[in-house]
Amino acid sequence: MTAEPSKNHTARSIGKPAPPSHPLVHRVSIAVTVIFLTVFIIVPVVNVFSQALAKGFHAYATTFVAQPRSMSPGLTRDERRQLSSERRQVEKTWHAIKLTATVAVVVVGLNIIFGLAASWSVTKFPLKGRSLLLALIDLPFSVSPVIAGLMFVLLFGRSGIFGHWASNLTWPDPFSLQWLGLANGWPGFQFTQYYSGIIFTPLAILAASIFVTFPFVARSLIPLMEAQGSDEEIAALSLGASGWRIFWTVTIPNVRWALLYGVILCTARVFGEFGAVSVVSGHTDGNDTMALRIEKLWNEYNTQAAFSVASLLSLLALITLIIQTVIEWRLLKASNVAIKKDAP
Amino acid sequence: MSIEICNVSKTYSEFKAVENINLKVATGELVSLLGPSGCGKTTLLRIIAGIERADHGSGPILFDGHDVSAEKISSRRIGFVFQSYALFKNMTAFENVAFGLRAKPWRKRPKEQEIRSKVTELLQLVQLRNFAQHYPSELSGGQRQRVALARALAVEPSVLLLDEPFGALDATVRRELRRWLRDLHGKIKVTTILVTHDQEEALEVSDRVAVMNQGKIEQFASPEEIYEHPANAFVFKFLGNYNLFHARTASINDATEASRRDPTGATYVRPHEIEITRENFDGLAIAAKIKHICFAGSLVNVELTRIDDESEIDAALTTQNYRALGLQRDQKVFFRLNNSKSFEEDYSI
Repeated sequence: MTAEPSKNHTARSIGKPAPPSHPLVHRVSIAVTVIFLTVFIIVPVVNVFSQALAKGFHAYATTFVAQPRSMSPGLTRDERRQLSSERRQVEKTWHAIKLTATVAVVVVGLNIIFGLAASWSVTKFPLKGRSLLLALIDLPFSVSPVIAGLMFVLLFGRSGIFGHWASNLTWPDPFSLQWLGLANGWPGFQFTQYYSGIIFTPLAILAASIFVTFPFVARSLIPLMEAQGSDEEIAALSLGASGWRIFWTVTIPNVRWALLYGVILCTARVFGEFGAVSVVSGHTDGNDTMALRIEKLWNEYNTQAAFSVASLLSLLALITLIIQTVIEWRLLKASNVAIKKDAP
Repeated sequence: MSIEICNVSKTYSEFKAVENINLKVATGELVSLLGPSGCGKTTLLRIIAGIERADHGSGPILFDGHDVSAEKISSRRIGFVFQSYALFKNMTAFENVAFGLRAKPWRKRPKEQEIRSKVTELLQLVQLRNFAQHYPSELSGGQRQRVALARALAVEPSVLLLDEPFGALDATVRRELRRWLRDLHGKIKVTTILVTHDQEEALEVSDRVAVMNQGKIEQFASPEEIYEHPANAFVFKFLGNYNLFHARTASINDATEASRRDPTGATYVRPHEIEITRENFDGLAIAAKIKHICFAGSLVNVELTRIDDESEIDAALTTQNYRALGLQRDQKVFFRLNNSKSFEEDYSI
């Protein structure tokens, strides 16, 4: 069998002629793949959405938006109680969404800084202990997230190594910042809410999320930076450009797709992370991320609401997948250029 | 600007890439560093550029008598051109050339109008004026390398360093660009050092050629001198095809000076210095059989097998000569050596 140019000849298959194989083997392997994907991916995702919408769109919406009914005096006591309980649930859900989004923004920002620094130092300079550094970057992939969470508890928990220092630490909630006006002649700000300690506060959620996600940006940058080498940077240097200018005008544009790819993976992981944050959250409502909120709703027999929040996560995952596919395609083009450039 | 390199060495862990190199390049000269891969030519170029640092204890690198060995690459005022072009992929040809001008500190930076006219002028010089708005991916290899040259020239370097600039191009484009580089150098007269492993390229373009081997310079002279009077067997062998005769194994004709000078040594003969005849007129020619004949453009390569010891010999004839002789395969002929070289010190066999 010869490799014929097929209609769906994608960029992916360039330079890879199909190996000779029996047509039956080909069909069976396709069938196995499709069945596997259907059972483990498509059916669960469809189920999430169908369960979320099981009681109709109105019920779905009330998970995120409280009933616009006001506490009019005409309501019975039970009705009032139900309404305020519903409102509290919606508030908690929104709080979880806000916390997750905030953590994601901070984690992605730190990840970009760490990823760029790590990949820059590993690929652009001869570095001693390079392979050790690469192995350390990969560590979170091989450590169970629950262990990661536990590690932070053992470090910063009440009886942990830094326990004494950590439990005496008081830090303000940045969202509680309030404007006091120009009362004393200068602009006044004040935090109205403070946290004490690290474990069982949003700070621990943040730390656990950073730990489980920090390889993503570095790992997606290193192969590309390695393939591209540092000729362009040296050329820019010989033309008299400063390090800062080279970084922004030469290095970053060359890796922008890989960077975005890492950011997307990192975001998806932060939104979906359960094990590590579950251990450090202390199961208080204020520390719930979306994943933890889903568990709580499920345990409260609020199946429909649990699936509604889950559907939001699934939707995010699907969007991530689409963006990821587009970026992968761009990345392939970028690395093809780099490979072509290397060939004599 | 003149360049003087004094006693420079570079060692990578155990491997000596460059060993005690001394080199003097005059102002406005075009010098090639020629050698096989791994001979240290690129390392030497990178040391001159300031990309690599010479070993501790190496002598100074003088630009116009001023030691630059402690200076950074950005302050040496060099233009460096890579085999891989190293163009900025996200910028047009115009922006690539303008990069060095825009990167200057704002006090020294020319006005936008001046940058424009300077870049346009440079693109004109490298014959790419109509490609100013093209991205590197839209240009051919030869065009990319010319953009890279224009980019290096934009900051008015006092030294131009070219690292295998035509290495990634196909034969026709290489030849074209070689001529073009020669002309360009005639116009702008900037001191240039070119690294190449292509003998033809080095001989055709350079004022002087430094032939390198295993971290050392074997010979540094004009192309003609190098070709006519190679300093040693390595230089001779590296510059083209050759036949090797061992004086011991065969009594070659008396024209071979080597057999007289050094009876145990080897004698080297270029294929085109072997003359084929149908008859053994003076009894001094050697008998051989034609094994194979192949056309290579203007020359005809004839492979001979000696009748006495069955060793193989390559001869190159002009087409005219070949026709006049009317050679056939398996035919018995005679050959003699018109010119041969032998070297006193020859460690390799």
